[in-house]
Amino acid sequence: MIATKTRSHHVTVKERPVTTLDQQPAKSEGRKDPWGALLERVGKHQDREAYQALFKQFAPQIKYYAISNGLASHAEELVQEVFISIWRRSCLYDWRKAAASTWIFTIARNQRIDMLRKMQRSSAEMNVETEDLWQIPGDNENDPVTSLHRLMSERRIRESLSHLPEEQITVIAKVYMEHKSHQMVADELGIPLGTVKSRVRLALNKLKVILQDQNV
Amino acid sequence: MTRHHPDSLTLMEYSAGNLSEARALCIRLHLDQCPHCRSRVDTLDSLGAVMMDHQPTVSVDDGSFEQLMARIDAGPEMASPVAYKPRQNPLQKLLGQDINDLPWKRQLGDVSVLDITAKFGDRSEQVVLQKLSAGGKAPAHTHRGDETTIILQGAFSDQNGVFNQWDFVCLDHNDEHRPVAVGHEDCITLSVLSAPLKLTGTFTRFLNPFIR
Ligand SMILES: [Zn+2]
Repeated sequence: MIATKTRSHHVTVKERPVTTLDQQPAKSEGRKDPWGALLERVGKHQDREAYQALFKQFAPQIKYYAISNGLASHAEELVQEVFISIWRRSCLYDWRKAAASTWIFTIARNQRIDMLRKMQRSSAEMNVETEDLWQIPGDNENDPVTSLHRLMSERRIRESLSHLPEEQITVIAKVYMEHKSHQMVADELGIPLGTVKSRVRLALNKLKVILQDQNV
Repeated sequence: MTRHHPDSLTLMEYSAGNLSEARALCIRLHLDQCPHCRSRVDTLDSLGAVMMDHQPTVSVDDGSFEQLMARIDAGPEMASPVAYKPRQNPLQKLLGQDINDLPWKRQLGDVSVLDITAKFGDRSEQVVLQKLSAGGKAPAHTHRGDETTIILQGAFSDQNGVFNQWDFVCLDHNDEHRPVAVGHEDCITLSVLSAPLKLTGTFTRFLNPFIR
């Protein structure tokens, strides 16, 4: 488990999600992850039960994400904005192009960026939207509909992450969860930038090896 | 030095949402044309999702979901599905016109520049468009560290090879080169420089990647 600072907020160590969904994915959709199936129900039928199940799973993750990114006083607001965006964009979600949690992560990231952009400058200045700059997976119409390695990559990453040394995970967590550049991570940990970069490279190499395996 | 494609660490900073708008724009312009790097970013986005799942959680406030549903029920504009929009080149959207029609300022010989820093929120970086006329040569020069460049049109060559449209280049002070625009088009690039150049008086400093 990643070490986290003690915070005044109510932080619970999460149990592994146990998904008990009444609707089993159809046989032809065997590779669809359960969250992807729920997202599709929201996209196709505005299914509120499915939407609530997604909220229960991801809203507490997104709230932590907001707090760790220094947006503690806007954490509830970010959760709301992310879920409004999920509701509105779910019709574009294609389980063959991205795992649901990957897709939701990019929406949370974009809403976090969007919130900071709005705080820092007037909306009149922003004629380029956040999603013009930061892509949501599956939005590129030129990509093949099915890319197996993409679907499998999240599971592989999850598995390989447990074999990475803690020091590599810590660095990656700071980059993804705390909005910190490699330089800021180096400053905070009091280690040279080169050390941070080599830890990240070592970790990414491991993930890349797995990617290559998938292409065999 | 990175040539043709962004390196994994830069793509990771992009995936994490930690890059400035100008640097994210350079990456996005490349991604829109490079399925290889799109696939790399997809994998990094999955790493982000796994990291988010790997962290503790924080309970949402009571009534948070009900509040959300009330917002969705309140107005169709809030809840209306987002339609697929044809992708527009984000730089063109930013500039509002074709890169060939911009008010270019001739700097030296074959080189023209346009500083577009003011279009971005982050004033700690300088964002510059540069144009090397078709067949034109730039004087030999080196670069400061941490400069990101993407080729928007045409191509240039130096002693390290040919750089084509949508290629991504990071150059630093070790990279002395003398680029030449190849092909029949003007070569136009977008560069992001870490620290703004200090222009003093009438003295003209030369800009990257062609001249300095
Ligand atoms: Zn590429």
